[in-house]
Amino acid sequence: MAGNRLKRKVVCDAGPIIHLDELQVLHLLSDFGHVLVPAQVWLEVKKHRANALNHTGIKFEKVIVENISSGVLSGLSKAFGLDAGEIEALSVAQRNRDCNLFTDDAAARLVASQMGFEVHGTIGLIVRAIRRKQLSAEEVVDILASVPQKSTLYIKPALLNRIVEDVKNEYRV
Amino acid sequence: MQTIEIELPDQLYKGVNNLVKSGWFRDQNEVLCEAVRKFIESHRPELIEKFILEDVEWGLHGGE
Repeated sequence: MAGNRLKRKVVCDAGPIIHLDELQVLHLLSDFGHVLVPAQVWLEVKKHRANALNHTGIKFEKVIVENISSGVLSGLSKAFGLDAGEIEALSVAQRNRDCNLFTDDAAARLVASQMGFEVHGTIGLIVRAIRRKQLSAEEVVDILASVPQKSTLYIKPALLNRIVEDVKNEYRV
Repeated sequence: MQTIEIELPDQLYKGVNNLVKSGWFRDQNEVLCEAVRKFIESHRPELIEKFILEDVEWGLHGGE
């Protein structure tokens, strides 16, 4: 039983969409009002997970991004080596300041934090599903344990084990 | 561009200026941008771990 869908819009980079789809929990994004997907990110997701953006329960919205050749993002993108999708995601987040940004890229997260955005990644979305009543704690533990086999999201094994233990301890699984 | 103010130890400041004077970089800004970029590239695993742990905390105890 899921909690009420939030009205908040979010901006999504390719990583979380791809990884959630790999783990068969893409539906977790249905908890948000709209999922804004920049055009470059849309292309990248289509390349790796052809049907992900067709998910009927999620309000994916493709966003065409223009005029990011100058300004803060241009300089930061050069300094931090961001790719086109990450730059567009940050640009969309900049124009929608009340949005969360979802990305798994460390450099993009660093820039996003510097610019004052609230930013989270795939693991956070999966763990969050318990308190949002989208998944049970037991389901989340199983999904986290399956990340190395089912997903291209890389997490150091010791860190993944720690996360699983944290979830088990929090929810007494 | 956003401006960040930092304090550099004298040795580092001299090193930055030497790189500019010798023609490797156009200005101090370019030196520092390149230094930050390389730092990020070489320290991503640590950053990723930090961000993931922040994510878990948000997932467990966040407001939304």
